[in-house]
Amino acid sequence: MIDCSKALPFLLVSLLISTLLGWLAFTQAVAGEVESSGFGAVAIPQPHKPDNASACVEPLDIMRREHMNLLLHQRDATVLDGERDGNYSLVGCMDCHNPAASAETVIRYPDPQHFCAGCHLYASVKIDCFECHADRGLAKIEQGRLADSNVAQPGSGLLSLQTFQMQLGDTGGD
Amino acid sequence: MATELDNIEIRPARRRFVQGAAALATTLIAPGILLYKTGQASSNGAAKTPRWGLLIDTNALSEADVDACVSACQREHGWHSEAGSATDAQWIRKLRLSDERSGQQQFLPMMCQHCADPPCVDVCPTGASFKRDDGIVLVNKHTCIGCRYCMMACPYKARSFIHETLYDQLPVAPRGKGTVESCTLCVHRIDRDGANAVPACAEAVNRGEHKAILFGDLNDPQSEISQRLKSHGATRIRADLGVDPGVRYQGL
Amino acid sequence: MRTIYSEIRTSSPQYWGLLAVFAVITALGIAAAHRMEVEGHHISGMSNQVVWGLPHVFAIFLIVAASGALNLASLASVFNKAEYKPLARFSAILSIALLIGGLAILLLDLGRPDRLIVAITHYNFKSIFAWNILLYSGFIVIVLAYLWLMMERRLEHWSRPVGMFAFAWRLILTSGTGSIFGFLVAREAYDSALLAPMFIVMSFAFGLAMFILLLLLSFRLDRRELDASHLQRLRKLLGLFCIGILYFVLLFHLTKLYGSQNHAYERFILLDGGVYTWLFWLFQIGLGSLLPLLLLYSARWQHSPRSLVLACLLIIQGAFAQLYVIIIGGQAFPLNLFPGYRVDSSFFDGVINTYSPSLWELLLGCGGLTSALLIALLVVRVLPILPQNLPGAQN
Repeated sequence: MIDCSKALPFLLVSLLISTLLGWLAFTQAVAGEVESSGFGAVAIPQPHKPDNASACVEPLDIMRREHMNLLLHQRDATVLDGERDGNYSLVGCMDCHNPAASAETVIRYPDPQHFCAGCHLYASVKIDCFECHADRGLAKIEQGRLADSNVAQPGSGLLSLQTFQMQLGDTGGD
Repeated sequence: MATELDNIEIRPARRRFVQGAAALATTLIAPGILLYKTGQASSNGAAKTPRWGLLIDTNALSEADVDACVSACQREHGWHSEAGSATDAQWIRKLRLSDERSGQQQFLPMMCQHCADPPCVDVCPTGASFKRDDGIVLVNKHTCIGCRYCMMACPYKARSFIHETLYDQLPVAPRGKGTVESCTLCVHRIDRDGANAVPACAEAVNRGEHKAILFGDLNDPQSEISQRLKSHGATRIRADLGVDPGVRYQGL
Repeated sequence: MRTIYSEIRTSSPQYWGLLAVFAVITALGIAAAHRMEVEGHHISGMSNQVVWGLPHVFAIFLIVAASGALNLASLASVFNKAEYKPLARFSAILSIALLIGGLAILLLDLGRPDRLIVAITHYNFKSIFAWNILLYSGFIVIVLAYLWLMMERRLEHWSRPVGMFAFAWRLILTSGTGSIFGFLVAREAYDSALLAPMFIVMSFAFGLAMFILLLLLSFRLDRRELDASHLQRLRKLLGLFCIGILYFVLLFHLTKLYGSQNHAYERFILLDGGVYTWLFWLFQIGLGSLLPLLLLYSARWQHSPRSLVLACLLIIQGAFAQLYVIIIGGQAFPLNLFPGYRVDSSFFDGVINTYSPSLWELLLGCGGLTSALLIALLVVRVLPILPQNLPGAQN
């Protein structure tokens, strides 16, 4: 028969590990905001509003609640069936929700100023869209190309993400 | 490029209609009758889905032309490949063929052959590697898990795995670390221009009357590509495998 | 006489020390996988030419051995060999542990391991890889059920049909693993239905070798008695499987040699492929097959347990050599797009591809292996898996 007392050390160890993992996740999640607003008090995001557009493709409340579904739905239609005439393409969003091509400012995705990043950091919802997709319109890509940007950046993991964000702070920040 | 996405021709709407009609027919009419109907429809060739393909005339391509194809593709999709790097992606590459006996040399561009029966699609565990109805073979990077089995299966070494984090990707070509990618036949241009589309590689080398890289609908017997194939014939690379590539070569 | 099973009760420093070493290597493996995910696969030795590397050698070894480790249980349940019955539970546990280790490596090596949910929810039923996902997960469930039926005396009569089912399932499973390569028609190194039965015989040998080593290890850790007659039986079985592998390797290469279109590939593996040729002749054939046969069958060493252990270790290193030659050697040989032409490009067409595994891959592979051993050693401590003693010929 199994001796229950033996289970205790296992239980303790797993508790310890899960606690550590929890802390790790938590500190990573807030890492972006800690500098600006202090631990625990996260500032309400002020995403960059489009410079020249009048209205979004849908009313604000629908966009706030449904943007992910709209994007997802059209994403599959575009990739699988080649339907590119919908209103809800990520390229469309990024064309508008970025500084105008004439403006000097360039905002890249992990920057809290980025239209998507601001709220997503605030809500702590991780998206991986911009690992592949352009985070700004074509004109802004040409304008704000990182040196050697199609070759991988040096550094790794969290560290490189943070240094990357700091670099961005210099070029496109507040 | 981004603004061009806004004014798209209504071609997809037609495809939607055809699909809707087909789905309706499937539910209403017995499958046997459906098979009979589509068999009939294919004989007049009018209402068929296209199958996009390329016809590459290697005699009309100099080494510099093939290089131009490669750099046009790089500009269009924003990929780069350091010389000698074993991990950088190459959507299209220049092959030099030297005859083992005569030493005669030829240059040709090699890329995804957009097979009718693509091995990469067969082996993909998640279905991320797929063939569109119009014959273009693509990777759905939203469902690609990066197992690289398609790269093992591809007879043409057409696919690349992204080994590094990328930045500043272009709007028309989303691409990122940990997934597999290959030539898309400039699908964003095809979705916009249909049969009149010109892929970036073709655009870079086509001068004057004779098109060294001819894009067109292999299913339409009236199309220029079908006509030229009919009159001059062409080679399928590794025809022995029976995968029926959509990219054909003349002058090999 | 009734077999009595019990947990191993050792608290020896050897046991805990071994567990600690395995745990550390497993942790290093996970860390290496994490680094490979954040950095990208460029820190591995894998490339667009050699797309599957050392992690896959480890993973395929573990998956193949997992299926073979079920041998002893099958012999008892399916072939009614009562003398193997006391070892059936351990056989089942080991096969589950090895399979988990192998699958963990495959998963962690993916370009997007975070999309595990996609792999589970999107199936392309034409993909042999997708079949394997079902075969592997099914195998774990079936063997768990089988183990439970063996351990629950009231339901023991069910263990035979379920054992048969498990036996059939794992034959299909290993055929599936072999066919991952066998179905690759475009590559000369693969494209052969022979790979499926070859992988089955490989699984018999590799699995049994792992089983013998771990059985001896856990018996020794807990100071249990193992009668020599058991080892003699296992020894003969192992020798038989070794001969089976040699037969299939011979058949495979003869088939390829017969058609002249594959001569270049055979020349590469058998004659001038450098590391692959060495691995094939010296480590796979010489040290991995012939020497173990000598150790297993020669009258001089026939009765020494040490020679058995050595033979098992040699067979396992031979297994790695064989899988390395199959998986990586097969990709190092270039695709032949234009027969009769010399081809070159910026994308390594027409040249022998190079591959040198990085530390990260090695750690990931070893981590998978040790995680399997860790699971096995932990389970025998908390569940009554191992027989108290294995007396000689009983009836």
